[in-house]
Amino acid sequence: MLSFIVRRILASILTLVVASFIMYILTAYSGDPLMDLRGSNAPNAQLLIGQRIERLNLDVPPPLRFFGWLAGAAGCLTPFTPCDLGTDLNYTAVTQLLPNAAAATVRLVSAATILAIIFGIITGIVSALRQYSAFDLGMTFVSFLLYSLPSFLAAVLLKEFVAIDFNNWISSGDSSIGFIPTLVVALIVGAIMQALVAGSARNRVIAFAISAGATFGLLYFLDAIDWFQNPGLGWGGMLLLIVGIVVGVTAVLAGFGNRRALLGAVIAGVLAYAAFFALQGLFAISTIWTIGILGLATLAVCFVIGWVIGGPDRGQVIRVTMLVGFLSGLLVVADRYLQSWPAYLASPRINNRPIATVGEQTVGLSGDMWLMGLDTFTHFLLPTISLTLISFAGYTRYARAGLLEVMNQDYIRTARAKGLSERVVITRHAFRNMLIPITTIVAADIGVLLGGALITERVFAISGMGALFNISLNRVDVNPVMGYFIVIAITAILFNFLADLSYALLDPRVRVK
Amino acid sequence: MTHMMRRRGRALAGLAIGTAAMVALAGCTTTTPEPGESGDSGEATTGGTISIAQTNAVTALTSATPDANLNTNGMVDYLMGNATGPGSMFYVDSEFNVVPDETNATVELVSEDPLVVTYTVDPEAVWSDGTAMSTTDLLLSWAIGSGWFDDATYAEDGTVADGNQYFQLAGSTTGLDTTEFPEIDAEAGTLTLTYGEPYVDWNLVNLIGKPAHVFAEHAGFGSVEELATFLEETPAGDPEAPVEANEQLQALAELWNTGYNITSMPTDESLLVSAGMWIPKDFQADDGGFISFEPNPEWRGENQPSFDELIIRFIGDPNAQITALQNGEVDIIEPQPSADTLAAIEAFGGTLIQGSQLSYDHLDLTMNSEVFSDPAVREAFLLTIPRQQILESIVTPVQPDAEVLNSQMFVTNQPQYADAIASNGYSDFAEPDIERATELLAGATPTVSILYNINNPNRVDAFQLIQASAAEAGFNVEDAGSADWGSLLGSGSYDASIFGWISSGVGYAGLPQIWQTGGGGNYNGYSNAEVDALVDESQTIIGDTARIDEIMIEMDGLTREDFYGLPLFQVPGLVATNGTVDGVVYNGGQTGAIWNTWEWSLVG
Repeated sequence: MLSFIVRRILASILTLVVASFIMYILTAYSGDPLMDLRGSNAPNAQLLIGQRIERLNLDVPPPLRFFGWLAGAAGCLTPFTPCDLGTDLNYTAVTQLLPNAAAATVRLVSAATILAIIFGIITGIVSALRQYSAFDLGMTFVSFLLYSLPSFLAAVLLKEFVAIDFNNWISSGDSSIGFIPTLVVALIVGAIMQALVAGSARNRVIAFAISAGATFGLLYFLDAIDWFQNPGLGWGGMLLLIVGIVVGVTAVLAGFGNRRALLGAVIAGVLAYAAFFALQGLFAISTIWTIGILGLATLAVCFVIGWVIGGPDRGQVIRVTMLVGFLSGLLVVADRYLQSWPAYLASPRINNRPIATVGEQTVGLSGDMWLMGLDTFTHFLLPTISLTLISFAGYTRYARAGLLEVMNQDYIRTARAKGLSERVVITRHAFRNMLIPITTIVAADIGVLLGGALITERVFAISGMGALFNISLNRVDVNPVMGYFIVIAITAILFNFLADLSYALLDPRVRVK
Repeated sequence: MTHMMRRRGRALAGLAIGTAAMVALAGCTTTTPEPGESGDSGEATTGGTISIAQTNAVTALTSATPDANLNTNGMVDYLMGNATGPGSMFYVDSEFNVVPDETNATVELVSEDPLVVTYTVDPEAVWSDGTAMSTTDLLLSWAIGSGWFDDATYAEDGTVADGNQYFQLAGSTTGLDTTEFPEIDAEAGTLTLTYGEPYVDWNLVNLIGKPAHVFAEHAGFGSVEELATFLEETPAGDPEAPVEANEQLQALAELWNTGYNITSMPTDESLLVSAGMWIPKDFQADDGGFISFEPNPEWRGENQPSFDELIIRFIGDPNAQITALQNGEVDIIEPQPSADTLAAIEAFGGTLIQGSQLSYDHLDLTMNSEVFSDPAVREAFLLTIPRQQILESIVTPVQPDAEVLNSQMFVTNQPQYADAIASNGYSDFAEPDIERATELLAGATPTVSILYNINNPNRVDAFQLIQASAAEAGFNVEDAGSADWGSLLGSGSYDASIFGWISSGVGYAGLPQIWQTGGGGNYNGYSNAEVDALVDESQTIIGDTARIDEIMIEMDGLTREDFYGLPLFQVPGLVATNGTVDGVVYNGGQTGAIWNTWEWSLVG
C-alpha cells in the first residue's frame, strides 16, 4: 500500500512537471504579451515595453523561462520557502489572484454539483426501475436534450424566462398565474406522476386524476391567497410537509414494519414542528453560525433519540431519525427565509425584481442573514440551474446503467430468493453497489468542475477560474494561466488518486499493489 | 454501581456538551435585532442610485501608473478628481473642449516665452476628509509627473540600465521634464512653473492629483510641511551621476506605484480621499463586481449630483450587460456595439445613444518599401481602396449614419474635422477609381503584402475587400496578416498595414510620434521635410490653438499629396439606458458616459 502511494506520488509529480512544461510553452508561444503596448501610441510606450520585459523576463526564451517559473512554484510545496507563482501583466501576484477565483468557482459549482448528483441519481434509479416505461423513455429523451444543450443558450433562455419574465410578473402588481397556465402545470404534473406509477391503466388514470387535481387545487389556492408575494409554509403547510417527510423517509429507508424507526421518525418530526414555533425569536437575531450550531444540535438530539429507542436494529433507526430531523429542520429554516421574501421584494435596491442575471450580490443591499441569504439565492439561482441541467443529464445515464447492471447480478436474485422485500433489495443490496462506479465519476468530475465553468461564468459575470484562464490566455499572460493549470492539474491528479484508493476501500475484490 | 457511575458520567458529559452548545449559540447571534428587516430602506428615499455597467473591472484607484492604465480606472480618477475631472484643474467634455474647473485651483499663463504658468490653490479648497489643500499637493504632483528625482538611464529596449526611477507613470514626463523646480508661495497659495522649452500641451498639465497629506503619512513624514521641506531640499536626480536610492522617495513611490492597486475595498480610508465630486463607498473586484461611490461631503463645486449613489458594475459579456439593463440591475450600459446588440436593446424598448469612438482603422503604405517608393504606384493603390464598401460592411450595420473617415489628424467628434476635410483632399478617394489606377500602373502588376491582425474580423474583412478591389487594377495583394502583427509593425516585412490608432482627442504633443521622420509610432518610414518643420513649429505654440489646427490641416493635405495611406473608418460606440435615467450624453473619449454625472437624474 505504502509503496503504491509513493510510486503514485512520484509519477504524479513527474506528470505535473512535464505537463506544466508543455502548457507553459504552448501558452508562451500562443501570441505576443506586448501586443497591447505595441499598438499603443502613448509617448512612453517603449519605456513600458521595457518595463514589462524586465519584470516578466520576456527576453528569456520560454523554454528557459519555464525553469525560472518552476523554481518559484517549487517554493509553494515546502512550508518555509516563499511561494512564488509569478505575476500577471499588471504585476499582481498570481498567488493573490487564485484564491478569489477558486472561491468564486466553488460558490458557483458546489450547489449545482450536489443537486445534479442527487437528482441525477434519483432520476436514474427510477428510470432503471421502470425500464422502457414512458417515464424512462421520456427521461432518456430529456437527459439527452439537456446533455446537448449549449450552456450559453440555456443561460440566455433562463435569463429571458426565469429572470426577466418572472420579475415582470412579480412587479406588475397584478400577479395572478391565470387559469390556463395553472391547468397546463397540473396536466404536466399529472402526466409525470402516472408515468411514474406505471402499472395497469386504471392505476394510471387514478394517479393522473389525483395528482393533476391536487396540483391544480394547490396552485389555485396559493394564487388566491397571494402566496407568491407573501410566501411561507404556515402552521398547516409545515404540519403537512413534516408528516410527508416522516412517512416518506420511513417508507424508503425502513418500511412501516419497523415500528421503532417509525416512532423515532415521529418524535423527530414532532420536535421539528415544536422548534418551528419555539425558534422564531432566536431566528430573528441569528447569524449563519447560529443556524450551523442548531443544525448540529438537531443531528445530535436525533442521534440520541435513535440510539435510545433503537432496539435491535439501532443503526437503521438512528439513520431514519436523523434524516427526518435534518430534512424537517431544513423546512423550518426554509420557512424563515420565505418569511423574509416580502421585505426583500420591497427593498428599494430590489424594487420587486428579485431574480438577478449577473454577479453574486446586489450592490449596497444590507440586512440580516435571511435577507442576505435570499440575495445570494436570487443571484446564484440561474447559474446553478443552468449548470445542474447540464451535468444532471450525465449522472442520470450513469445511475440508470449502473442500477440496471447491478439488478442483473446473481446476488440480487439471491436476495430476492431469500424473500426480502423489493424495497430492501434495492436500498440495501443494489443501491450501494451501484454507487461504486458513480463515486469514481464524481471524483473525476470535481477536478473538471474546479476548472470553472468558462461560459457560465462569463454569461453570469462571475469571475471564477474559467474567467481567469480565459482572460489571461487572451492576453498571453503566462503566469496566471500556469497558476490556473497547477490548481486544476493537482486537483485532477489528487482526486483520481483518491478514486483509485476508494475503489480498494469500497470493493474488497480490488487490492492496491 | 459501576453501571450507575457510567450513566452519571454520560449524563454529565451530555450536560457539558449541551451547556457548551448553548454558550456557543449565545455567542453566535447578532446582539440586537435589526430594526427593520429591509435593512437600510430609509436611505434610498433621499436621492436614489444610478448604476452603469462597464466591460473592464476596476483594479486601482488610479490610472496613472503603467499597471493600472485601464479605462475603468480612468473613470475612477475622473469621479475622484485625480488629475482629471471636476475637482481637479480641468475636465474634457464630450466635444473635446478642455473645461477649466476652478473649484479647487486656478491656472494662469504668465508668460509665453519663456513659458511660465502660475497655479493658485483656492483658500477654501479641501480634500474629502476635511484636510485643507495646499501648494504641497501641487508640488507632489509636479514631482511625480516631472520625474525630477529620477536619475535613471534607459537601455535601447526601454529597460532601466542604471540609476533609479522612482515614480512610474503610464504617461510620460514630456513637458514637465523641462521645468525648473517650482517657485512656491505657501502664504498666497501659489506655485509657479517655468518651462525650459515651449510645451504645446501646457494647458493639459493637471497638478491636483493624489493628496500630499496621505503620502506624507504613508511615507512616515510628520506633517505635510515636512514633506514639502523634504521635496525642496532633496537634490534633483542626475542620470549622468546616479546616486544611491533615496529611502524616503522610495517610500513615497511605493504608495504611488502600487499603493492604490486594490483587490478588495481598502481598509485604509486615507486611500479614498478625493478632490472630486464622488468618493468610493464599496468595492468588489473582477467580473461581476462593482465599485460604488457616494457624494463627497466636502464638495464645493458648482455642479452637484442629483442622486446619492453611483455604482459602476463590471460585466464583461455584452449580452449579459443587455439582459442586466433589461432586468433593471443596471441603468446604463456601454457595450461594444454590434448589429445584434442594437436589435436586442431595441427589442425591449431601451434607449440607444450612438456616436463614434476615438479609435479608427487606417491603411498605411510603407513609404520606403520597394514597391511603394514610387508615388505613382502609391496613388494607384490608394485609388483601388473601396473605403465606402469597407464602411458599409463593417460600420453601417451598427451605425447607419456613419461616414468614411476623411482625415489623418482629426476624428468626426472634433469641431476641427469639418475644416480639415474641406481642404485636405481625402474625399478624392471616396470611391475606388480602377480605370485611373490601371492607367497609372501602365501595365505593371506590382505585388503588395498587407499586414493586419488576423484575429480582428473587421481587419480581415477590410483586407479581403481591398485585395479584391486592388486585383481589378492589376495589383497582386499578398496576405501578410498575422496574430503577431503588433511586433511586426515597423519591421519592414510588409508593404502596407491595416491597424488602428486611438486619437487622444485633446492635446498636440503626440504629433511628432507619428508624423516626424523617425518618430516612435512612425512605422511606415514617412519622411517629409515640410511636415517635419510643421510638426516642430506646432510644438512651440503656446495658447494659440487656432494656429495649431491650421498646421494640422496643412499636414493633413501634405500626407494626402504624399499618398501616405488612407484613414478608413471610426469605430462605432454606444451608450444605452433602460429609460430610468435622464441626461446621459454620448462621449467617445476614455471617460465614457460618466463624464457628466451631475447632469444625470432619475426619471419619476
